[in-house]
Amino acid sequence: MNPAEIAEPRQTPPQGPPPKPFRLAATGDFTLPNGIRVTLVPYGIVPKVSVRVFVAAGGIHESAGQVWLSKLNAELMKEGTHTRSAGQIAREAAEMGGQVEIESGSDFTSVGGVALSDFGPQFVALLADVLTAPALPASELPRLKADLLRELSIDRSEPGALARERFLKTLFPDHPYGRMFPSEADLKGLTIEDVRTFYGRNFDAARTHLYVAGKLEGDLRQAIEDTFGGWHEGQAAPDLPAHPAESRSLHLIDRPGAPQSNLLMGLPVAPPSSPDYIALDVMNSLLGGSFASRITSNIREQKGYTYSVHSQIGTRRNLAYWLQSADVTTAVTGPSLREIFYEIERLRQDPPSASELEGIQNYLAGIFVLRNTISPDAIIGQLHFVDSQGLDRSYLSTYVQKVMEVKPADVQRMAATYLDASKMTIVVVGDQAEIAGQLSPWRTA
Amino acid sequence: MPITYYKLPNGLRVILYPDSTAPTVVTAVYYRIGFRVEPRDRTGFAHLFEHMMFQGSRNLGKMEFIRLVQANGGVLNGSTRFDFTNYFELLPSNKLETALWAEADRMQGLAITQENLENQQGVVINEVKSAIHNEPYGGFPWLWMPQYANSNWYNSHNFYGELKDIEAATLADVQSFFKTYYAPNNAALAIVGDFDPAQAPQMVGKYFAAIPPAELPSPPDLTEPRQESERTAVRPDPLANRPALAFAYHMPPRNSPEYFAMGLLDQMLVQGDDSLLYQELVKKHGYTGAVSGAINELGNMFDYDGPMLWTTALFHDAAVTPAQILSSIDAVVEDLQSKPVDQRLLDRSVTKMRSSLYDIMTEFGGFGRADLLACSALFDDDPSRIDSLEAEFRKVTPELVERTAREYLRKTNRTVLLIEPGADSADADQEESN
Repeated sequence: MNPAEIAEPRQTPPQGPPPKPFRLAATGDFTLPNGIRVTLVPYGIVPKVSVRVFVAAGGIHESAGQVWLSKLNAELMKEGTHTRSAGQIAREAAEMGGQVEIESGSDFTSVGGVALSDFGPQFVALLADVLTAPALPASELPRLKADLLRELSIDRSEPGALARERFLKTLFPDHPYGRMFPSEADLKGLTIEDVRTFYGRNFDAARTHLYVAGKLEGDLRQAIEDTFGGWHEGQAAPDLPAHPAESRSLHLIDRPGAPQSNLLMGLPVAPPSSPDYIALDVMNSLLGGSFASRITSNIREQKGYTYSVHSQIGTRRNLAYWLQSADVTTAVTGPSLREIFYEIERLRQDPPSASELEGIQNYLAGIFVLRNTISPDAIIGQLHFVDSQGLDRSYLSTYVQKVMEVKPADVQRMAATYLDASKMTIVVVGDQAEIAGQLSPWRTA
Repeated sequence: MPITYYKLPNGLRVILYPDSTAPTVVTAVYYRIGFRVEPRDRTGFAHLFEHMMFQGSRNLGKMEFIRLVQANGGVLNGSTRFDFTNYFELLPSNKLETALWAEADRMQGLAITQENLENQQGVVINEVKSAIHNEPYGGFPWLWMPQYANSNWYNSHNFYGELKDIEAATLADVQSFFKTYYAPNNAALAIVGDFDPAQAPQMVGKYFAAIPPAELPSPPDLTEPRQESERTAVRPDPLANRPALAFAYHMPPRNSPEYFAMGLLDQMLVQGDDSLLYQELVKKHGYTGAVSGAINELGNMFDYDGPMLWTTALFHDAAVTPAQILSSIDAVVEDLQSKPVDQRLLDRSVTKMRSSLYDIMTEFGGFGRADLLACSALFDDDPSRIDSLEAEFRKVTPELVERTAREYLRKTNRTVLLIEPGADSADADQEESN
C-alpha cells in the first residue's frame, strides 16, 4: 500500500440538500349505513389497485379445541359463493389481473387482492360476493382439512416455528393468542357446522373495515355502496383482553444434532396506545431492531455467531411484546445469550450517546416514509395498524416528530422499565446434549 | 417515463429513471459476476465476497457503510444471483449523492482485514446452516434442482457453498476476486426515484469517473447441452416429515419467441388459483394445497443471462405417489402440446403477465425497476428493452404456445426431484437416471 494514501485524511460523506417535505397520502373515509368503515387512498401512477377488507374475526375467536378453525374458514371461503363456483372466482379475478386472497390472523381475517385499476369496481363486487355470500361447501372440507394437516406437520418440523409456539404459549397461557397450532386430533375433528357457526358468529358489517389504495379508477364508492351496503349489520367484536405472563422461565426444546440453536426471548411491553410506545420503538431499533443495532453488531458483525438476528415489537389488539430472536451456532449458544443480555443490561444502565440515538431517529424517520410509500398494501398496513389499535390517525402525522423528541435518557428509561431480564420468557430449540450445560446460568432457581 | 442510458469513459453503464411518486430514491450497483462463475475450489465464494463488500473500504470502516445508510433514513442490501451480484440503497431522495459517494468508495477498493474475513465466514456459515442444514426442505428446490438438472459445472455446482470451501477462503482470494470482477467496466449503476435527471450525471461523474477499468477475463462457456432423457433425483431429508416433489424444464434461449411463450405458459400452468396445474393438482385431485413455480427462482424471468430452469414445487402426503402426481401433470401438458391453446386462456395469461410486470417494476420502492434496468444494461446493452416486454408477450400466438410446449415441456427436457422425508441415511445425495 502506498504510504501517501494512508496519510491522506479520510473523506466525509456528502450530506446532500435538505429533505423534501413528505406528506402522507390523503384518505377519504366514510361509513356505510350498516356500519362498514371505508377508507379510500388514491396513491401513485401505476395502474393497480389494492382492496383489503378486514373483518374482526380470527384466532382470538376460536375456542380451545378449535384452533385453526378461522384458518379452515378462510380456506373454505375461497370455495365459491351462492352464485359463483371457486373456479369462476379464480378466473374472473385473473381476468382482472388479480387474485382473491383470504388470510386469517390472530385478530382479523382479510379478504382482498390487487387488481388492474381498470377493473377496480368489478373487483370490489367480486370480493363483496366472496365475503358476504360464501357457500362454505361441505364437499370441499375433507380436502382442505388434509391440506391443513399437511401444513401443520410441515410447520411443526420447522425449529423457528416450534420456538414461537412455545413462546406464545408461555406468554399467553390462558388466551387464544397462546394457541399457535392445533392438535392433529382437534383439527381432524372440525366439522362443517363448526365452520358455518364460526362464519355466522363473526362475519358482520359492524366488524368490518374496507381499504382501497392505489390508482383509483371508476366509481369505487358507488361500487362499494352497491355491493357491501346490503350486508347485515351485526354486532361489534367482543372484547377478549389478554393478560400476558411476566415471569422468568427457560424452555429447552430438544432437537438432537441441530447445528444451530434458535433463541427467543421476550416479555410484554406497553401497548401502541401508551405514551411510551414510540420511545419503545426507538429503543427497540437501537438495541436489536435494525442492521446497525447493538445486538446485531455484537453477535453478528463482531463475533460471527449468527446470520439471522433481530428484535421486534409484536402487537396484538391493545397489547405489545418485545421479542429478540437469533439462530446461533450450537457451540456458542451460551455466549450468545450472555452477549444479548449484556447488551440489554448495558442499555438499562446507561443512556446511548446523542449521536447513536440521532442515527436511529433518522433511520426511523426515513423508514416511516418508506412504509407509507413503498406500495398501496404498505399504506393500507399502516392505516389498519392505527385503526385496529384504536389510535387516532394523527398517530401517523405526528410519528416522526415524536420519534425526534425522544431523548437518550428516554431510551434508557424504556429499557430499564420494560426489559427486565428477570421477567423474560426464554425459549431455546437446539441439541440438548450440547447446550444444556451452556444454558445453566439462565435457569430459574 | 424516459430512460436515460449512457456509459462513462471507464465503461460504467449508467441508467437513470426519474419517478417523483415518493420522495425516495433507489441507488443500485450491479456487478456482472454471479455465482455461476466462481473459482472451482471455492464454491460459495461469490456470495461470501458479497458480504465482504460491507466490511470496509477506503473511507468507510467496518459497520460504517451500514450506519451511514441507516442514519440517513434508508435501507440497504446485497444479493448474489446466477449472473450478477447487486448492492442497493433505498433512501430519502435528498441522499442520492451520499449513496453515490459510498458506492463509489467501495468500487474504488476494499480495506478488509483477516479478522473481518473470519467474522463474515462465521456469518455466512450460519446463513447456510439457517437456510439449509437446520431447516426442513432447506434448499428445496432452488439450491438442489440446478445441481441435478444441469450438466455444466458453472450451472450445477453448489453455489451457496460447501462449508469447507467457505472456511478455506483467504484474504488473497478476496483481493483477487475484487480485482478481477469489481471494475466499472463490469458494472451498471441504476438510479430510480425522485431526482433531477439533469443533475445526476454530474454527480455520477464526480464519484465514479476516476475509477480505473480492469481487463476482464473472457467469459467461460455456460451453455447446457440439449437434455435428451428425463432425470429423477431423490434426496432424503431427515428433518422433513412429508414428501415433496419438484420438476424443472430447461428454458428456451432468452429473448427468443419461445422464451416469451414460456413466460405465458408459466402464467397458464402455475401462477394463481386459476392456473391449470393448481386446478388439476389442488382442486381436482387434492394432491397438495399449493403449487409454486417460477422461471428463475432467485429473481424473475428478466434478470438472468445464462441457461435457466422453469421450476415448480409442491408438498404432498405419503399416500400419494410421485407417479400419480406426474401422470396428472403429463395429462395437462400433453393437452397443451396437442392443439393450439384456447385464445381466452392465452388472453388471461397476458393480462396476468401485464399485472405481474407492474408488480415487478414497483417492487420495493422502485428497486424492481432498477433491477431490470441494470440487468438489461449489463446483459443486452439496452435498458429500454424493459419497455417492450409487454408487446413481446402480446405477439405470442396459440400456435407458438403449442410449439413451445412440444419442444420445451418434453418429458426428456425434464428433471424431477423427490424429497424423501425422515429417511434414515447419511448419504444425502443419491441420484438416479432413467
